[in-house]
Amino acid sequence: MRRLWIAAPGVLAFAVLTASMCVKIRAQVPSPATPPAPAPAAQVAAKPPADAFKDDVHAKAGLTCESCHGAKKADGGYATLARTAIAPLCAKCHADAAYMRKFAPQVRVDQFAQYQTSVHGKQMAKGETRVATCSDCHQSHGIVPVRDTRSPVAPAHVATTCAKCHADPVRMNPFNRSPDIFSEWSQSVHAEALLKRGDNSAPTCSTCHGSHGATPPGAESVANVCAQCHVREAELFKKSKKADLFASMGQGDCLVCHSNHHIEPPKSSWIGLDDKALCATCHDEKMPGAAVIKNVRKGFDDLQGRMAEATEVLDRAETAGMLVEDGKLALHNATEAHVRMRVLVHTFASPPFDEVLKEGLTSADLANSTGVGAMAELQYRRRGLAVATLVILGFLATLFIKIRKLPA
Amino acid sequence: MKSWLRERLPVAEVEAAIAHKTVPQHRYSVWYYLGGMTLFFFLVQVATGILLLLYYRPSSGEAYDSVQFIMTRVPFGWLVRSIHSWSANLMVGAAFAHMFTVIFMKAYRRPREVTWLSGVLLLFLALGFGFTGYLLPWNELSYFATRVGTDIAGVVPYVGDFMIRFLRGGPDISGATLTRFYGFHVAVLPAITTALLALHLLMVQYHGMSVPPSIEARAAREKKPVPTMPFAPHFALRDLFGWTIALALLAGLAAYLPWELGHKADPFASAPAGIQPEWYFLWTFQALKYMPAHILGIEGELVAIGVMTLGALGLVFLPFLDRNTSRSRAIVSWAAVAALAFMTLMTVLALTGGQS
Repeated sequence: MRRLWIAAPGVLAFAVLTASMCVKIRAQVPSPATPPAPAPAAQVAAKPPADAFKDDVHAKAGLTCESCHGAKKADGGYATLARTAIAPLCAKCHADAAYMRKFAPQVRVDQFAQYQTSVHGKQMAKGETRVATCSDCHQSHGIVPVRDTRSPVAPAHVATTCAKCHADPVRMNPFNRSPDIFSEWSQSVHAEALLKRGDNSAPTCSTCHGSHGATPPGAESVANVCAQCHVREAELFKKSKKADLFASMGQGDCLVCHSNHHIEPPKSSWIGLDDKALCATCHDEKMPGAAVIKNVRKGFDDLQGRMAEATEVLDRAETAGMLVEDGKLALHNATEAHVRMRVLVHTFASPPFDEVLKEGLTSADLANSTGVGAMAELQYRRRGLAVATLVILGFLATLFIKIRKLPA
Repeated sequence: MKSWLRERLPVAEVEAAIAHKTVPQHRYSVWYYLGGMTLFFFLVQVATGILLLLYYRPSSGEAYDSVQFIMTRVPFGWLVRSIHSWSANLMVGAAFAHMFTVIFMKAYRRPREVTWLSGVLLLFLALGFGFTGYLLPWNELSYFATRVGTDIAGVVPYVGDFMIRFLRGGPDISGATLTRFYGFHVAVLPAITTALLALHLLMVQYHGMSVPPSIEARAAREKKPVPTMPFAPHFALRDLFGWTIALALLAGLAAYLPWELGHKADPFASAPAGIQPEWYFLWTFQALKYMPAHILGIEGELVAIGVMTLGALGLVFLPFLDRNTSRSRAIVSWAAVAALAFMTLMTVLALTGGQS
């Protein structure tokens, strides 16, 4: 009992320590709904301006406080820049090609011109100082190049930087803008590629809206924006009947099926005439195109079904120790055909789709037959082993009898 | 035919020797069969190894693909490769078991010192076969495990760097290492093993089976000779019984648990998680993990390697260290029990992920 009393404070301390560690750990793990952690640049900005400026790209280029703020005031401090004056001040150097070439020969000098065409720039020109200017995105005293991963405008941080204003209802409501865009994008296939897989080529806000010239792309240019990456899909779409049809309806091409910010991975269930299908939004059984829709959906279902069968039998064979490399290669070819079929959906026609479907089905069948063959081979081996074991056991029994019969 | 052979070869002498050869029969006789079983696994290795040689290509670009070819395209290639891999492991297991029974039965004592020496060296050679053969399929696991294994040699002062370069044929594991290991595996080690094995078997035949001191003492007390059985056919048939069980075990393992090939080694990829050497090296691998960074100012790994080298030397010279008194025999038995317990514990810890 006495030992228990001695141990109690230790146990209590351990419990408190563990609990506090758990709280700390929980605090560090963002919940799915929580936006990603703010850019490390925010920490740079939290430093006093003079300290933050030490790490600033401008300081390294030889600029000083006076370069932007002018001479010191009588009280020893510097004048604060008016928000409307920031972009023109930055442009004094950043729009001067001859000057900028000295520091970086290939640096662009059109940022201010772009900014003036942006919604931010136009509003600022009208004297609306609540909109973004250079320092809101790049920081004011701790500016690092965009290629520096600490930069708030490095690919992985762009969305978080935009979200500082665009996810804030207080800031967005006066402009009749939705504050949900960031959370919608965060659940998209693009955010997953950029933030989870670390693919810096995946789209973030500036990829579609532009950075300095940030503006929502109009319905007429959406297809061009998506075509920056989805080249083949856009090419097929523009040649299809849908391109003119959507244009005449004033619909933003790609957005009709894929939406804008919350872009999900495509599913074959989108295609069809049932209630859950996207096509059913405009099409029904009686309309032209119903046969194509059904054919495309059936094609996807058939291929996916056969790929699932092949995957299952190949997995079983592999788990049993069989080598099924040929089957895996065929399955890979089927998967590739499946990807190409998804692209060919943008023709909204059967013929090119059917050709690739045929290739996919042939590959899936080959994968399946390889797996089935491997399982048959496994059974053959096991039967062979059973026979061999019986022979060996028979030999052992004979030996045993022979040994027992030997004279002592 | 028989008379033709008798005229030219010492058939009659061999027949007479076999007819007169006897084997002691007592409560520990069952352990005599482990040596024969190890020999059986070695013969399986030779046979399957020759078959694998027909298709295997010892270059970093072709090794993996050639093993894959053996396993998928060559008729019964999967069985041959799987038996070779399983038999290698069972051979090392049987050799270790044989060694420990020899220690416990004190079969190394005078006049069998040469038998013991050749046996211990054969065990080291078996480990060498395992280490060099592990790399030959050129898969991810073997590549990185060999890198870790050869790194250990680098800890040895003065000659560590030379040893690494000698083993690897360069600063890192490469195609040069593979051809080197292949050369050791199929030429150097088999040549030395054949010579030592011949010596070992000759010595076993020359001195006969050793009788444990306790059995000898009991026979002396009772003033009766130790019972024996004829080598042929009594012992030979029992040996054959053991070999057949070993064959059944091999066939079952090869068919139901085919040896995996894994993924092809990529020297530029990062090391995969869970790299481990073969099970018989696991205890050293785990023991090195538990070593502190420094002991009395000396690098921990170096101390561990020093202790293991002393252990190996102690093993080699065991017949000369044991003065054959009841006290020294007891010390040897307890040291063997402690070593066996330590090796088992370390292996279990490694397999269950202790300090991984």
